[in-house]
Amino acid sequence: MALPAGLLYSKEHEWVKLDGDVATVGITDYAQDSLGDIVFVELPRVGAQLEQFGSIGVVESVKAVSDVFTPVGGEVTEVNPGIEADPAVVNRDPYGSGWLYKVKLGDVSQTQALMGPEAYEKLVAQS
Amino acid sequence: MTDLSGTLRRTALYDAHLALGAKIVPFGGFEMPVQYGGILREHEAVRKRAGLFDLSHMAQFELRGVDVGAWAEALTVNKVANMKPGQARYNIFTNEHGGAHDDVIFYRLAEDRWLLVVNASNADKMWKHVEANRSGDVRLTNLHGERALIAIQGPRSLAWLQPYVEADLAALKYYGCCETRVRGSRETVVLARTGYTGEDGFELFLPAGDAVGVWDLLLAENREAGLEPCGLGARDVLRLEAGMPLYGHEMTEEITPLQAGLAWAIKFDKPAFVGKEALLAQREAGDYPRIVGLVMEGRVPARAGYPVLAGGTRVGEVRSGSFAPSLGKNVATALIVPSAATEGTALAVEVRGTPHAAVVTTLPFYKRPTT
Repeated sequence: MALPAGLLYSKEHEWVKLDGDVATVGITDYAQDSLGDIVFVELPRVGAQLEQFGSIGVVESVKAVSDVFTPVGGEVTEVNPGIEADPAVVNRDPYGSGWLYKVKLGDVSQTQALMGPEAYEKLVAQS
Repeated sequence: MTDLSGTLRRTALYDAHLALGAKIVPFGGFEMPVQYGGILREHEAVRKRAGLFDLSHMAQFELRGVDVGAWAEALTVNKVANMKPGQARYNIFTNEHGGAHDDVIFYRLAEDRWLLVVNASNADKMWKHVEANRSGDVRLTNLHGERALIAIQGPRSLAWLQPYVEADLAALKYYGCCETRVRGSRETVVLARTGYTGEDGFELFLPAGDAVGVWDLLLAENREAGLEPCGLGARDVLRLEAGMPLYGHEMTEEITPLQAGLAWAIKFDKPAFVGKEALLAQREAGDYPRIVGLVMEGRVPARAGYPVLAGGTRVGEVRSGSFAPSLGKNVATALIVPSAATEGTALAVEVRGTPHAAVVTTLPFYKRPTT
């Protein structure tokens, strides 16, 4: 299971990459592997206001629907344009070209509620 | 939440599944592999080459006695007594309202000996049902858990299985069965040309203690050529594409075989069977909701339980839904009022509050190419 350093993780298996006050969000390698072949992703609209840890969309594999709980709150500034035509990119490259959306954080301190790679690895090992 | 941890059973192949990297889920009271290499990969193997399935969670009942045929005919919609040894037949145990207790397959092995295979999720209910209704010379043995079931499904099944069995597979017709020897098994096994994938294939009913030997042998010899272990996830997608009903979805204690589109299996010329009057009345009235196929127009999958709409009015409910790799589209079955059930009708499936376009289509979604 890949767990890049420098990212923050949520207990709902999303990752966050901070660049100033803009956060890029995706699902973890563990999440994509658990889901299996992803066939559809429903993302929030650009401009939507997200509340941290709220349910903001779904990732669907061949058989199952899973909610996406956003690890950070704020305004959506961008969604990954490649996902609609090729949702399997989330399986192939969950931390890279399979990113889901970007959020401009209202309050950067909210990331304190997230985990580093070591803590997330422990959480996954227990699940 | 129900704590199932202490009650789940394992098939003889459980360790083999773990060694193959399977993801395990509870199903029908067993810890079963839902997938190994991924549903799309396993699906492709079955459609193009062959896949190997552990279906040992399904319950096998042995039926013996001269009255089995007549006895079973009174409890089910299809004919049983006129089956010849070496024949298998699909059937449905019904309730008084015409609903289904279970859909099953009878395998007639000899004049007075049969194998009955029922769904894992209905195993206890069905055992009680057949026991409670036993009459005449009918002797029942519940082999659930003692016997394993391994299926090989896909166009290469015959070629890949033949080297290990005595019986001539090419001579075995679709829905034929026989008792034969298979390498890796110390006892005679039941072999049938049946399946639940829409492909040619075979099912082996064998002692649980011999399952690992046969499973390992088939995989070791053919995996390099493309035989894939396949889980219940791929199996469900394959059966949905092939238009085959899954108990609890397209057919239930409330949804009758007539509604499920299984009129071909109901033999109204039998003098009597449980639910006959109710089914006759339903057929006569003709206004019953029925199972149809839906093909979704966009990329949003329909899932079981989602409402189906016609012009904003609810006309039914999705019963099964999945991405269908053979079509590259999302498909579903739905229970729909007759006025909206005609092929080509434009409907919508409500997904998380938003309607998404779908078109009514006849089942199956997928038919294997004729060779």
